Amino acid sequence: MSPEDIKKLVEDKFPGKLKEGKITGFEPTFILEKDSLLHVCRFLKESKELSFDLVSCMSGADYPDRFEVIYLLFSFSHKHKMSLKVQLPKDNPEVESATTVWRGANWYERETAELYGIKFKNHPDLRPLLLPEDWNEGYPLRKDWTGKDFLKLPELK
Amino acid sequence: MNEQISEIYTEEFFVNMGPQHPSTHGVLRLLLKMDGEVVLDMVPHVGYLHRSMEKIAENRTYYQYIPYTDRIDYVSSMFCNQAFCMAVEKLANVPVPERAEYIRIMMVELNRIASHLIWLGTFSLDLGAITPFLYCFREREKILDLFEMVCGQRMTFNYMRIGGVSRDLTPEFIPAAKEFVNYFLPRVDEYEAILTRNPIFLGRTKGVGLLDQKAAIDHGVTGPSLRGTGLKWDLRKDEPYSIYERFKFEIPVGENSDVWDRYIVRIKEMRESAKIALQAIENLPEGPIKTKIPAVFKPPAGEVYLRIEAPRGEMGFYIVSDGTPKPYRLKIRTGSFSNLTVLPMISRGWKIADLVAIFGSLDVVLPEVDR
Repeated sequence: MSPEDIKKLVEDKFPGKLKEGKITGFEPTFILEKDSLLHVCRFLKESKELSFDLVSCMSGADYPDRFEVIYLLFSFSHKHKMSLKVQLPKDNPEVESATTVWRGANWYERETAELYGIKFKNHPDLRPLLLPEDWNEGYPLRKDWTGKDFLKLPELK
Repeated sequence: MNEQISEIYTEEFFVNMGPQHPSTHGVLRLLLKMDGEVVLDMVPHVGYLHRSMEKIAENRTYYQYIPYTDRIDYVSSMFCNQAFCMAVEKLANVPVPERAEYIRIMMVELNRIASHLIWLGTFSLDLGAITPFLYCFREREKILDLFEMVCGQRMTFNYMRIGGVSRDLTPEFIPAAKEFVNYFLPRVDEYEAILTRNPIFLGRTKGVGLLDQKAAIDHGVTGPSLRGTGLKWDLRKDEPYSIYERFKFEIPVGENSDVWDRYIVRIKEMRESAKIALQAIENLPEGPIKTKIPAVFKPPAGEVYLRIEAPRGEMGFYIVSDGTPKPYRLKIRTGSFSNLTVLPMISRGWKIADLVAIFGSLDVVLPEVDR
């Protein structure tokens, strides 16, 4: 399916719930409400015309006013792709885990939870993945994080 | 007699395999739940090589980050270079000269051979065959010599640049590369003569570690491990990036999705890579090797995700730019990371000796998992 067809199909299924974003290379991109994430994910995987079966990549991001969780999806049976974004508030970032839909999201969510402090509800196993066992210095990928030896490169003009 | 044996009760116990175990090739710790010799369950522990690559990226300019990409997967640095440079090029719409594209493909395909050779050598070593290891490193040495000719480095190349490559080929490179490809193709037959129909090797690999195709996709397995399950999917062919659509090559696939199939897919891939490299050498055009870009390089604000076919599966870069000289967010997707998550599932119920074969067949490189 072409990006336009996917866009139309998803927008018709969830009218008014989606905003449009842009990730070059993985169009179309949708920005969702966090409550509808699991619902949309299930549809994207189970719908016969779409059947997105691979989480190509999953990532978090920290912006001045929000956190974002980004899902880059691909379908092996139809060879098309798309991306999803969920925006989360700064004070209590919490979202449903997509592990029940794609098992491949498991470690990505563990990583995002550990490095950004985003909680994934109903995740089977949210143990820290990458950082040392005795790590207690917060969430390193947040923009306001400062560690003991952390030096910032001077701003370039 | 058999009845008696089945009545013997053995207590389940836990074994730590790694982080310093010769067959984990790096620092991976597997916590195994064992019943005698049989693996009941396992928990992989990673992170021993975590170097916070993604945090470092936010604090470096785009140029400065290229040498860091070498260290994501030091066995196939050229791919990390290429994926990062292509992602930034896509973000900023930087054109790449024809000659640079050909040189890049030559380099990555030679690197793919070198990477598969390391895998083949260590994999056969794990299974007790020492000779292929020596053969593989003999050939890999020649590839490293070629790389040294071009960029002066043998491991972390730092060769590609945003908009091209850093240096042109030296005059002696082309004849040497041609000679290598012609020398290398018969050598693959040599490895196959030692391993492919060897009864001991077959006993260790045939029917072992079956990976169901659906489960593999669900876990995000890509690359040769996925092609071993019979799925004909290769980004070079199905989603041609760079100039791959101009090259003639086959995509080898397996049939039974066992360890042996993953082995044979990589063996065949080495032959195909050699053919692609040869085509690139023969059709190499003249011209510039790099697009000029400003010293303070500021890609426009935006987001990009770009993936390429690396020896261990999809390698992708997700970059968020805010219009400053440094990336706002950079996420690295690597093949090994997802491929490792499938290990507990496919090694359950196999003996610990088979676990070594199964883990070897996934070709996981740990720095790529931890980043």
